[in-house]
Amino acid sequence: MKNVSLTKQEMNFRLKSNPEYGQASFAGLISLALAVLLLWNAYSPADGSFKAVGLGAGIAFGLFGLLQLAVWYLIRTNLIRHAAIGKATRGLGFLLLPSLFTGNVFVASTAFHLVKKKKYAAYTLAVYSFMTTVLVFGVTALNLFKPYVANGFLSGMTLLLIAGFIQLIALLLIAKYGGEAVIPRWMAIVAIALLATAATGNLFSLFLSLMLFAKLRNRGFTSGSRFGDVFERLSRSSTSMLGLLFVTFLLTLSITSLITFDYGLAIDNNYSAILQSPTAEYPLGTDNYGRDLFSRIVFGARISLIVGFLTTLIPLLIGGLLGALSGYYGKRTDNLIMRALDVLYAVPAILLAIAIIAAFGAGTVNLIIALSVSSIPTYARTMRANVLQVSTLEYVQAARAFGSNDWIILFKHILPNSVAPMIVQSTLTIGSAVISTSSLSFLGLGVEPHIPEWGNILKLGSAYLETHSFTAIYPGLAIILLVLSFNFLGDGLRDALDPKLD
Amino acid sequence: MQKKMRLVALLFVSLAVLLSACKLTTKNDVNEASPTPAGTEAAVDNNPVDIELLGMSSNEADLNIVRDQLNKNGFNVKLNIQPDYGSFKTQEDAGNFDISMSGWTTVTGNPDYAVRSLFKTGGDYSKLSDPEIDELIEKASTQTPDQYKETYKTFEEKLVFEKAYIAPLYRSLKSQAFNQEVLNKDSVRLSKSRSLPWEALDFNDTSKRETEALVLQSTMPTLTSLDPIKGNDGSINIINTNSNVRVVNLTDDDKVTSEGSLSLNHAIAEGNSEYYFILRDDINFARVENKAAVDSGERVGADDVIFSLLRAKDKNSVPDHRTYTLHEHIQNVELVTDLASLEALNVSGSSETVKAALENGLPSKISELVSDKKQASNKDGKYQVVKLTTTKPFPQVLNYLAHQSAGIVSQKQVQAINTYDVAKFDVNKDIPYGDQNTVTEGAQYNNTLYASGPYILAYKNDYEAVFFKNPGYMKGTENEPKIKSIKVRFIKDADSTLAALRSGEIHLYYGVSENKFDVVKGDSKLSLQTVPSNAVSYLLFNTSNRPVAKSVDLRKAVLYAINQDEILAFYGGNKFKAVSTLSPLVDTGLELKADAGKVKEFLNAYKASK
Repeated sequence: MKNVSLTKQEMNFRLKSNPEYGQASFAGLISLALAVLLLWNAYSPADGSFKAVGLGAGIAFGLFGLLQLAVWYLIRTNLIRHAAIGKATRGLGFLLLPSLFTGNVFVASTAFHLVKKKKYAAYTLAVYSFMTTVLVFGVTALNLFKPYVANGFLSGMTLLLIAGFIQLIALLLIAKYGGEAVIPRWMAIVAIALLATAATGNLFSLFLSLMLFAKLRNRGFTSGSRFGDVFERLSRSSTSMLGLLFVTFLLTLSITSLITFDYGLAIDNNYSAILQSPTAEYPLGTDNYGRDLFSRIVFGARISLIVGFLTTLIPLLIGGLLGALSGYYGKRTDNLIMRALDVLYAVPAILLAIAIIAAFGAGTVNLIIALSVSSIPTYARTMRANVLQVSTLEYVQAARAFGSNDWIILFKHILPNSVAPMIVQSTLTIGSAVISTSSLSFLGLGVEPHIPEWGNILKLGSAYLETHSFTAIYPGLAIILLVLSFNFLGDGLRDALDPKLD
Repeated sequence: MQKKMRLVALLFVSLAVLLSACKLTTKNDVNEASPTPAGTEAAVDNNPVDIELLGMSSNEADLNIVRDQLNKNGFNVKLNIQPDYGSFKTQEDAGNFDISMSGWTTVTGNPDYAVRSLFKTGGDYSKLSDPEIDELIEKASTQTPDQYKETYKTFEEKLVFEKAYIAPLYRSLKSQAFNQEVLNKDSVRLSKSRSLPWEALDFNDTSKRETEALVLQSTMPTLTSLDPIKGNDGSINIINTNSNVRVVNLTDDDKVTSEGSLSLNHAIAEGNSEYYFILRDDINFARVENKAAVDSGERVGADDVIFSLLRAKDKNSVPDHRTYTLHEHIQNVELVTDLASLEALNVSGSSETVKAALENGLPSKISELVSDKKQASNKDGKYQVVKLTTTKPFPQVLNYLAHQSAGIVSQKQVQAINTYDVAKFDVNKDIPYGDQNTVTEGAQYNNTLYASGPYILAYKNDYEAVFFKNPGYMKGTENEPKIKSIKVRFIKDADSTLAALRSGEIHLYYGVSENKFDVVKGDSKLSLQTVPSNAVSYLLFNTSNRPVAKSVDLRKAVLYAINQDEILAFYGGNKFKAVSTLSPLVDTGLELKADAGKVKEFLNAYKASK
């Protein structure tokens, strides 16, 4: 070894400060872990054989995981010897790219990072928007194994293909031109096309397109927008991007499932297919009524997301407004609003929700109201604290000195500068909202039992935990993953929005 | 770059072409392929018909299946799921339903009971009023099994297929699981109709009889009433069966027997209207003192039997009498003191005298019939005999006498407690015998129960009810209760109950649901017993304030939308087909077959009539 003089600290610094190094080990290890899990799941101890689908997926994950670890080793030696990743090593990333088609987002996202030496938010967003579409396309394609597909299946799949195509083109173009301060004017066409693909629910496309528009308008005159900064920082955190990927994936799947999935498979009982283990036709098996769990979980995502978003949005608006008013006006207004909210805060959230549902009956609307009311005080408190802090700043004083009216000061100067913690808070509470929704459904207080909602599905499955565990494991996993994703995203957003980290 | 782009574009286009070229079956293709049933040319409109389905959350599976089947047949089902029986009953009584999920268990094991209180005008649970139905019920009740088969067939045709007052779903298994490491396997009985006899239960380790309590389970901590005639539901049936002895019992397969009952023998006299019971002298009433059972010293005798059965048939003997229709065939119950009258009479369908029949198998023959129960001494040949006459020849009366509502209570005690005037009964002031508040721990606790059965309820709270063995119950016989103390734990949720059984918290779980059979079978310390029961689940139609009350067509559309095969498939063959509540008792040969064509037809007729 040449660099014998390299101290351990130096070596550590080189390795730790390189994002690809950490990502590579994470992706490699998690792929291998998943591979083991898949193989174990596919193995049937009764006759010592493997299920074909599980075996294939397990091998694919295992191979890419091993390859990834090999690349990780190369990166390590590259870094130790040359303090940089070599061109050949980066080239290996192309070998890892096909892992996307096996559904291995960990290796794929790492590979996309590896192949690009100079990274920027637009590139990352483009990568993730394309990955989302590929994943949604792949998951939706599982419907091909069903005896029949939804009427809009073909057109839906074609639209997804077109969207994926646009996103791929955008990815290639952005890889080529996106890093420059001034991007070519014709990129507007790309931005518009991306905006159109955002209609599938692809948040990455939406943000990317907005970012491109901002860049086009800006034409390099300023150093960039705050929005761009936030994304620049957020895109550096791979966990939060993976979190956002899962949320976006579910959102896109929920929206596209309107035409590509058949609701009948999710709610109509099929007595000839009761409690079937996972097969190609029923990728996640069937429940005790013979309903396809895969379809149910896909449709359940819609309710979970809607209820999750709304139960976050409503208290965000109401609590935010109340908090802003009490923080800005202070004194008696503050006392009046905050003490009233304290009373509300004193009632345990889930009890309040149960009481509201018991009084007004079970149903989606009541569920949303019940869950929203109880989280108003937390938002109000956060907002009040921010407003108290921001309203002492000089520019607010200046606005006051100019004689601006209270509402203008509050809404134009104070609120925009106090929303950051609210956004963080909402991404963190949206996870608990999803859990609350599921808990209430699990207790029989949510939506009607046959409606596919994750809590409902889990409740039915829990009765078969010992005999047909998959009926409980998959909806449980879905809930865990969604909540985890929101938490990761929230963590990343907190870091990205924190001005102290500038 | 250009080259790469072209390649990618080519790839996508070819993929798109490939995708569009392959033939996919869409949902519309499937729907078009399925043949439309005949007789639908005159389609009135295809809008689904709204229908409200009421049920309890414990029947969620059935509700879901019915909802699914109705939805698939052109209905739009609104579910009204209530958390417990109380709220369910409130909704049902208020008429907030089109169809309600109902169940019936014929605990007496005779067909008359399966129809009388449910479908006869004025019956305890009846919401029907149809003279033709009444007539058939009456006719069948006087007939022998060979004769009534035809009558009941006509009855079912009328009730189900012609008028569609109910839509049958299935007949159930009766099941119980118990901890075989604790309980002696041979001591646990599972009978078709009768409740579990507690006196037979025993531990594997008999040394624990005195020290350990046997723990059973029930879902309802609120007991309707401990006066046997004032309740007939799941909260008290098992409790009252074991608290009060009856003059006859049912065997495991629903035959009437004197074994383990207050009578040593019973006989039906010629003419099928007179029934004789010879009573045993070794049962004393138990009462509760300081929350423990003591022998009251008062023997259960003929006066108590006469008193109990006469009040059972008398609608006005207590307020809120729930079981008088079961006993309306009793004309009179009296004491027999004239031994000669028994010798003069022959047993129905035999040349044996009633006296001989009553003496059959007894160690000492009847030497004297006494009127005072204290003087009865079986070993000396001094017996008490009770004669029951029915309003008409009605052999099925014996089945009713085996029901818990015919449990024997103490004349002295009940008369001492029920001092109120029945007509002016005030719920807030008067405390009737058997009021559950008097046995519930708290300010109102004042246990005045006198139990003639093997066990007596000492006290209860929301957590459990504690029973002690009756110290004066058939001492020294095989029917003497083995275990000193039995606790009934109130666990509402089925999953929690099963968990409690598996953890050893409870020892026996009666009524395991079908989808848990696998779990029970997979646990080596548990044993599962099943037997086809007399329980039938069906849909009851609203008969007062909804469209289904007036339109036979609408009811029939619902009826033919029910597919019992699918229900059986759902329960993995652990349910059986049913036509009415009679199905477990009488094989009428009828069967309900789902028919989508008929549903359409009847729905169109209904829409046209609107």
